[in-house]
Amino acid sequence: MKTEIVAMLLAGGQGSRLKSLTYNIAKPAIPFGGKYRIIDFPLSNCMNSEIHTVGVLTQYQPHVLHNYIGLGTPWDLDRRNGGVTMLTPYAAMGGIRWYDGTANAIYQNINYLMEHDPEYVIILSGDHIYKMDYGMMLDFHKEQQADATISVIEVPWEETHRFGIMNTDENMEVIEFVEKPKDAKSNLASMGVYIFNWQKLKDYLVLDNENEDSSHDFGHDIIPLMLGKGEKLVAYPYKGYWKDVGTVESLWQANMDLLNPESGLNLHDPAWRIFSSNPQLPPQVVTETGYVQESFVNEGCVIEGEVAKSVVFQDVYVKEGAVIHDCVIMSDVVVGTGAKLSRAIVPPSFNVPDNFEIQNQEGEIILLTDEIIEKWKGSGEHAFDGNR
Amino acid sequence: MRLMAIVDAAVRMPGLEDLTMYRSTATVPFAGRYRLIDFTLSNVVNSGINSVGIFPTNPFGSLLDHVGMGKSWDLDHRKDGLFLLPPTQLNGGHLSVGTFAALEEHKAFITKSRRPYVVITNCYTVSQIKYHKMLHAHVESGMDITEAVSGDISLKSYIMSKDLLMELIDVYKEKRIISVEDLVNLKKKPYTYGRFEYEGYVAVIDSIQSYFSESMALLNVDQWNELFIHDCPIYTKVKDEPPARYLKGSLVRRAMLANGGTIEGTVTESILGRAVIVKKNAKLDRCIIMQKCFIGEGCDLSYVIADKDVYIEAGVVLHGTKENPIVLRKGERVLKEEVG
Repeated sequence: MKTEIVAMLLAGGQGSRLKSLTYNIAKPAIPFGGKYRIIDFPLSNCMNSEIHTVGVLTQYQPHVLHNYIGLGTPWDLDRRNGGVTMLTPYAAMGGIRWYDGTANAIYQNINYLMEHDPEYVIILSGDHIYKMDYGMMLDFHKEQQADATISVIEVPWEETHRFGIMNTDENMEVIEFVEKPKDAKSNLASMGVYIFNWQKLKDYLVLDNENEDSSHDFGHDIIPLMLGKGEKLVAYPYKGYWKDVGTVESLWQANMDLLNPESGLNLHDPAWRIFSSNPQLPPQVVTETGYVQESFVNEGCVIEGEVAKSVVFQDVYVKEGAVIHDCVIMSDVVVGTGAKLSRAIVPPSFNVPDNFEIQNQEGEIILLTDEIIEKWKGSGEHAFDGNR
Repeated sequence: MRLMAIVDAAVRMPGLEDLTMYRSTATVPFAGRYRLIDFTLSNVVNSGINSVGIFPTNPFGSLLDHVGMGKSWDLDHRKDGLFLLPPTQLNGGHLSVGTFAALEEHKAFITKSRRPYVVITNCYTVSQIKYHKMLHAHVESGMDITEAVSGDISLKSYIMSKDLLMELIDVYKEKRIISVEDLVNLKKKPYTYGRFEYEGYVAVIDSIQSYFSESMALLNVDQWNELFIHDCPIYTKVKDEPPARYLKGSLVRRAMLANGGTIEGTVTESILGRAVIVKKNAKLDRCIIMQKCFIGEGCDLSYVIADKDVYIEAGVVLHGTKENPIVLRKGERVLKEEVG
């Protein structure tokens, strides 16, 4: 049977504003929500949308991602036909080329797409948290008889300068695409999710590749190029939770959104499950000294201390007398006796020493590092002040 | 590995009837997110064994569903791996481990094995036994049959050579024995019998009382640490539930919880399976609540074992006792007007 649609998932981003969290792993591999990695969201969306052919494009620190995705089993992508294919930059006649821009990454894998020869290609980003039925977007694309469909979300007007904005007519046809406008005419931001008719996209990728001045980016180059040639581009209005977790602050906020029933991000919906690679760990235990309030806690945890408004990943040990408020505690962490943490992210496998203290009621979110612990020791173990 | 494993999943416990109406003893939920057979299969793979035959009896639908191709235990191999060998004749429930009639029906599975030794084990003794250590002791001792024991408790696990098992399948009728357990208990001649002393966690689940007390014992961190050893994980079928969600007003003390649940009420000294919902002002004390149960607002329950998918309406009060916990069967709906 002919493949109708292939997903190309861009997962090569570094995410340098996430600091030490992305020193060794690509942004899509960042842990989220107590048990997931960010890339679980687009992969699960594919699975739930019945897209079974997915190319994952990696470049920056790919090993954790490759190992994590493996054969794609958690997302039912270990298939005879289609399935998941990891697409890294490769050597070819004419030399080795790194992926240079989102469109260039797809251009370099034109052979992969030609092999499947689908009707449509959907371009996805590996670093967004959202639950979306790509099937409905594809239906919209077909109904509109568009050459390309761009998924958009309404953003607050005061934030339009951070996004690529689509100006549309009353039929949702795209008239203009403006990157990070100062005076936006619309508040429809591109989510970086595109559906193209494959034959059309192929032509434009080739055309764009010949242009030496191009930055080979979908938003910046391909979309304006297609608009200029009079192709039909439509905006697909998405409603629901969507977040680009580009900074420590936004990663923390997205985790906190899980604890807020009003946020629109619900992972407990069995109809749209987020799938991930599940480690085999025992149930969590709250002991007689433990206290958990308004939190997410994963398997393998032993909670002897107090945990409030926090997201706790698997295999975390919170010792007696420890107090954790408004924190994200990643996997395999030990929080020592009497330690006090607030408004912080603790990275995986971190050891928080006994009695370590952060005072941080309103300051920036603190990403715990060895340097902070050293500083605390050097100060005679005075509480680390994040309020300044 | 010179050892293959035979898991007798056909033993039915009269005392566990409430939990085994629709399932085999092997798939009775235990310790929040597991089924009893998970412990057996995990011990098998953690001992380096990769040839396993499971001998179930009716009803084994839930066992097929749970074990599948054995992927969760890394037993989905092209070569060897996991085999499910259900009875060809419907000969009902067996009460002792290693029933020869069942083995005889699938004699070829044993005949064609390349492994010179066999461990015959069961699903209702929970332990962290290492069969490769037991095999070593068996070979050293020179005995014909080795039984695993922990003090006075038999783990009902036996090692013998494949040749001896083949011989026993041929002669069990004339020896007037029905199972390996039977043979070992009667110490039939001319065979010699040894023991392998196992040290570590052990629980025998053969009645509602032992099910309840062994479950509760896991709330002691020492017991929990003996069963859940970091390097010897217990594997189970993956369910992709999100982390457990504690809402405002919840109070959880001395409890064990699997993923996927939403807790708004008070849970003390209890074990909650996957995706259990405990509504506001509900109170659970010394309860075992299995997968996907719903506990309505303001319920007050103690000493209750609720099997999967039980629905308890708001305001229901149910108090069992330590000796006689109330057992709610799978899918039961408990309404306020019915229990008063």
